[in-house]
Amino acid sequence: MITVAPIADTDIRFRSLFDNTPELILYQNEASIILDANPAFLALVEKLKEQVVNHPYDEFLPAEVRGLFREKLAEAFTGKTVRFEMYAAQGNSAPRHWDVMKVPVREGNRVVGVHMVARDITEKNRQQQEIFAQNKDLQQFTYIVSHNLRAPLANALGLVDVLGQERADTPEFEHAQAYLKTSLHQLDQVLVDINTILTIRDKVDLAAPEDVPLAEVVQQVRQNLQDVLHDCGGTLRTTIPAGFRVRGNRAYLYSIFFNLLSNAIKYRDAHRPLLVELTATDEAGPGPLITFADNGVGIDLEQAGADVFQLYKRFHPQHPGRGVGLYLTKTHVESMGGRIEVRSAVGKGTQFTITLC
Amino acid sequence: MHTLLIDDDPITTFLTERLLRHEGLSDTAASFQSPTEALTFLLRQIPAGLVPQVILLDLNMPMMSGWDFLDILKRHEVQLQGQCTVYLLTSSVAPADEVRAKAHPLVAGLLLKPLDKRKIQQIRDHVRPAA
Repeated sequence: MITVAPIADTDIRFRSLFDNTPELILYQNEASIILDANPAFLALVEKLKEQVVNHPYDEFLPAEVRGLFREKLAEAFTGKTVRFEMYAAQGNSAPRHWDVMKVPVREGNRVVGVHMVARDITEKNRQQQEIFAQNKDLQQFTYIVSHNLRAPLANALGLVDVLGQERADTPEFEHAQAYLKTSLHQLDQVLVDINTILTIRDKVDLAAPEDVPLAEVVQQVRQNLQDVLHDCGGTLRTTIPAGFRVRGNRAYLYSIFFNLLSNAIKYRDAHRPLLVELTATDEAGPGPLITFADNGVGIDLEQAGADVFQLYKRFHPQHPGRGVGLYLTKTHVESMGGRIEVRSAVGKGTQFTITLC
Repeated sequence: MHTLLIDDDPITTFLTERLLRHEGLSDTAASFQSPTEALTFLLRQIPAGLVPQVILLDLNMPMMSGWDFLDILKRHEVQLQGQCTVYLLTSSVAPADEVRAKAHPLVAGLLLKPLDKRKIQQIRDHVRPAA
């Protein structure tokens, strides 16, 4: 036998919604006095019902939004349902983003009161902003990549043109031919770069983080760069507390410090022996903090500005380089949920600060 | 046609030099891979009245972009106006660059790389009446 659950009484149904919804619900009169408030509102403002009911809503709103709320309330009292978004505190709560709806309650032709339903959209807004920022990032990435694909391609096109006009067996012909080959290799290299970058980005959510012993990774980097470091008379000094571990991806961490140390060696100052100091601490903040400082030639940050970590940006034209290293370093740090910052003084050195979570 | 070529990429420099030569224009071309050095050279030429007729300027260069270069050159606008035409050579055109190029008093145009016969002719046609 099939039993059909009876439809609950209307009052019970609506009371249950009023009591249990996470949205804030207020019932107000024309003078903005609160006549009823649901538990979600009471919980947020941390008041008892009797401290709220018969009080003007203004008491719970910061001064700068009171006018707007009154205006919207008046509009609802003309019989319209009003909806607006707003960033404000309620009572002593922290400010949040609210999607607010004011719905008139009628008796016959007359509006006798207005229900306000406010939904917290702070998290939704944050996610939207994140997506917006990511989109902008990708747009920028596409611009840069297309420019850097076009550069060697334009050269190749021009060289093919020139080859048609040069006499074979001349040094110019040979040059043009060699350059054509180089251009095609550069074109290929950009595609390899894109692939590398996309692979890292793709793994942001996939790579299972592990507790990586930092000293071990740094030791590995030191070993692999030992010869060049020794040849230039450089020193790498590390201060890593015993048993220091960071949550992340071992290969990424290796790549980060390999890149930073390679850069430090490459951009060392000829006037003094290279000294690199790597320091790790757990005590500076919520997560591990790693600083990597060298006494190299430095980067003119005023000129470089926000571009230091940008793809294919270079700051030392006299040294060969493709402008990929620091971009990858940043991508690796960020894919582990961390942040990297740089400070530098020309002729003094450069310091990178990495915060992980 | 007195031409000054500024591009950090040696391949582009070679390419442009060869193209200019094939068009019979190369004998007076000077080229620089460092915009800073090009600037030093140019600032020495200006007081002597030896201003190049055409500057082919790359936009995307490390440390000193084509725009940075033009900012400094703008201070000598009076000496250069009518004497020297700047063409920006770039491998991809961003809309913002196009707007900026139009607004700049020294810039005659934005040319997409690679340079070719047609573009060189365009430059010649622009420069000849003034020369």
